[in-house]
Amino acid sequence: MILIINTTDDRTVSEKIRSELASKGAEFDIVEASEMKIKNCIGCNYCWLKTPGICTVKDDHEIILKKMIKSEQVWIISDVTLDFVTPLAKNIVDRTIPLATMNLKMSGKQMRHVLRYKTKGYDFGLIIRGEADMEYLHRWSERVAINFGGKSRGAFGTEDIKEAVSCM
Amino acid sequence: MHVIIINGSPRVQNLSNTDKIISRLVKGMKTEDKGLTTELYSISDRKQWEEARGAFNKNTEILIAIPLYVECIPGLLLEFLDTLEKKNGDTRISFVLQSGFAEASQLRCGEEYLKKLPGLLGCTYGGTLIKGDNFSYRFLGEEQTEKPLSAYEAMGASYIRNKGFDSDEARAFSGPEYFGAGMRIFLGIIFATAAPLGFKMMAKGLGCTKSLKDRPYL
Repeated sequence: MILIINTTDDRTVSEKIRSELASKGAEFDIVEASEMKIKNCIGCNYCWLKTPGICTVKDDHEIILKKMIKSEQVWIISDVTLDFVTPLAKNIVDRTIPLATMNLKMSGKQMRHVLRYKTKGYDFGLIIRGEADMEYLHRWSERVAINFGGKSRGAFGTEDIKEAVSCM
Repeated sequence: MHVIIINGSPRVQNLSNTDKIISRLVKGMKTEDKGLTTELYSISDRKQWEEARGAFNKNTEILIAIPLYVECIPGLLLEFLDTLEKKNGDTRISFVLQSGFAEASQLRCGEEYLKKLPGLLGCTYGGTLIKGDNFSYRFLGEEQTEKPLSAYEAMGASYIRNKGFDSDEARAFSGPEYFGAGMRIFLGIIFATAAPLGFKMMAKGLGCTKSLKDRPYL
């Protein structure tokens, strides 16, 4: 399953992806997060230590988490805020930590949290609407993917949707 | 010197590890600058945002202390920063970036973002103090946290002397980029044996009744 989370209010991006992926015959799901109620992570760590796997903040983010555990790839479509993704997009990523457990392991040369649901992990990709420091977003995407036991599929501008879909 | 300190943690102040670090930095700053005054704002409390914005506008020495959230700054802090008006270059922003993961290499992607952030806000960059292994302060007693937290006092003094954290002593404070092979094997064993017991104790203290490996959505 390929999960696409559109955090922008631009449906044309998700529609383009939908038609490209449908013609590839891929299994996918597109979530319009701008219509959802999603707050920020409050750093309570309860998802690791009090109610393992469950976020204290009760809102629509749980819908996304449940979809994520069935996905091999998670893509986020985001506008640009201060040369980075938007607060909404970052909040969605911050609140993925229930997908990992408190427990640690050494993975390559660094410590990493043990995943809760998967051994193979989740790949991660970014599609960015607007002018941004794409080199940095590539790097960030790679680092996010490492934390979820997967690989980065890259960071693309909305003008390169075909290329992004070819990497899905 | 008058320093505006912004705690960029979304966690409530009384449980914030970043807040504990800030307290020690300020203590150290005062040993170097007897007349030092500070103002502290916590991003976790939205009621403080407006006053924090005013302080950012009026002052020229800003220190933002941040817990690493998935390889960069927390979404909530990003939202706050996006509400700031661009300044005219007279202001220096320095950062503290702290994480649970212990190795300095874990914080480099976040640091890279902080290097460009002041420029986007019309400010200059005063360096970033990078430090890992700060997860447990909230759960440990004073006798266990005293040593790691007190180390930040020297960095507070260093901040005053060097006008920020762009200094060799701040860079040295980060510790190793990666642990050596022997240490990694040792840590691997600890993570598989003693560490989960410690985490279970923390969980029990919070009233957890489930396995920490629970899979509620399966």
